Amino acid sequence: MDTDKWFSKLLDEPLNELVQKSMDEGQIPIGYSCSYVPEVMLSVDGLFPVRMHATGIAGTEIADNYLSSVICSYTRSLLEFALDERYDFLRGWVFAASCDHLRRLYDNLEYLKRPGFSRILDVPHKTGDAAINWYTDELKLFAKALTDHFGVDLGADALAKAIREHNAFNAVLRKIGEYRSGDKPVMTGTEYHRLVIAAGTSPKKPLLPILKKIRNDLPKRDPLPPYRARLLLAGGHLDDPGYISIIESQGGLIVADRLCTGSYPGLLPIPETGDPIAALAKHYLTKTSCPRMMEAFRERAEDIVKLARECRADGVVIQILKFCDTWGVEAAAFVSCIREAGIPVLRLERDYRLGGEGQLRTRIQAFIESMGK
Amino acid sequence: MITAGCDVGSLTSKAVIMKDNRIVAREVILSRIKPAESALTVMESALQQAGMTLKDINFCVGTGYGRDRITFVQEAVSEITCHARGARWLLPTVKTIIDIGGQDCKAMRIDNEGKIVKFITNDKCASGTGRFLEVMAKIIGVTLDDLGGLSARAKAPITVANACTVWVQADVIQHLNDGIAAEDIGAGINNAMASRMAVLANNIGLERDLCMTGGVAKNAGVVIALEKLLGMTIKRIKKVDPQLVGALGAALIAGDKCERRAAS
Repeated sequence: MDTDKWFSKLLDEPLNELVQKSMDEGQIPIGYSCSYVPEVMLSVDGLFPVRMHATGIAGTEIADNYLSSVICSYTRSLLEFALDERYDFLRGWVFAASCDHLRRLYDNLEYLKRPGFSRILDVPHKTGDAAINWYTDELKLFAKALTDHFGVDLGADALAKAIREHNAFNAVLRKIGEYRSGDKPVMTGTEYHRLVIAAGTSPKKPLLPILKKIRNDLPKRDPLPPYRARLLLAGGHLDDPGYISIIESQGGLIVADRLCTGSYPGLLPIPETGDPIAALAKHYLTKTSCPRMMEAFRERAEDIVKLARECRADGVVIQILKFCDTWGVEAAAFVSCIREAGIPVLRLERDYRLGGEGQLRTRIQAFIESMGK
Repeated sequence: MITAGCDVGSLTSKAVIMKDNRIVAREVILSRIKPAESALTVMESALQQAGMTLKDINFCVGTGYGRDRITFVQEAVSEITCHARGARWLLPTVKTIIDIGGQDCKAMRIDNEGKIVKFITNDKCASGTGRFLEVMAKIIGVTLDDLGGLSARAKAPITVANACTVWVQADVIQHLNDGIAAEDIGAGINNAMASRMAVLANNIGLERDLCMTGGVAKNAGVVIALEKLLGMTIKRIKKVDPQLVGALGAALIAGDKCERRAAS
């Protein structure tokens, strides 16, 4: 089996072969669209989570009738796919009120195409004890809604088991990630991102043995050919490994990432002790690291600098979706902080649909050249 | 030491050949569909001028949007780095460079050593590029070379409110139908172009000296309007055609690489 091709194929369509197989076995797919949605709660008792994506979208002609052109293209692409019946296989979807754009998507979907189960989670804008308690209550209501609708068990034992399985799965992915970050990387950032996105958009159970095999085979690989610079890729939603491939085609190897849809902080372990719902609320609220959260800018900026130093990145590339208000403001401030820390930084705006490859190549090449690489 | 730079742009392809740090041949042609063909044609013409063949070139660097498709270069370097290198060679005091090409525009700031400190490029839209001027010149019925001169003769330049090339076309046609003088329309277009560039230039934080490269640097109307908007004199490049600065920078970088290779 050509693993690269097989994983690429998994990303071609939301209803990929693993999703179809799990559905044939009686499993229930639930879509979600934001890192604040605890996917662990969608991984219990016959449910499985599918992170919604619209990879390969050609245009948003239908969605543009409902969402304005200043709504981010990820949001519009999801609506387009939903209206194009590409998400009809989902038995429900869960959104988070994380930004106005996703809220408008939820509103439109409620009006245009409501599935059997539909929910939007209210996410506080702070991460203190009061906010965590509040989010714990919100998740309890969410658990009850899932139980009432699907008849699934979201009791403490079931959730504790789901957390353990989630951590074990992510530990395999984290280990694989080390092979792109070491002194002599054997894996490109493109290949790794493909695995991470496939893991979010496919059922995990059938994927785990394949990922374990990749992890076991990686030490036998030869180091990658020489590259010009080690880069850290930061920013918001990015589910297209093709974007990273363009960066890497210019010699900028992505050795680490800090993305909403990436390995950090998304793959960090969830505490396995105490009340599982409280643990989930605290984990998702405090570790998601989204610019929508107030009073935590400094920590987020320091996190990127720390990660860049840990993986010995020569520079940081921040990519944001055009019209993403939260990341738009945050990225501008990040640039100064990262530069002050003595790390070269490049900020790029992009559309959800991959385009403008020539310009992207020129910017990346010039960035690497400006570092003297 | 003989070095060459080949800049394959979306509208024009340029080649510069240097011998012992002096320009011995230069050429500009309209780009063809295939970048590899454009590169070969423009380089062959430059080589003919210099009485040389490709074998005589010690090192050749390619740049421009077609840089990765040039078959005869030893290395491809981004046009941002090449324009910065070329501009600094021509004007050693320059710190900020604005380059407006056929399909994109960029602004870059360099430090005392010529290293790029910051750069910014336009997005996919054609409204701040040479293509915009080309389209507008055609509608007014003047050549691209004559468009710049219209500003000096304008009495009441029109205001171009729209940022979109397609919508501006409609506005310009309306003005022509209303009997507005070509000079006033041309000046309005040059001013609009300068306004878009000013936003880009201000974004990187201007530092003296400032210069312009690329084909649009030859449009006096745009340059003067931009000076007014930025409140800063734009140093004129006189030694070569500003359109050749990218290819010149590529040839200079080729020289740097040759020297480094010899030293090691």
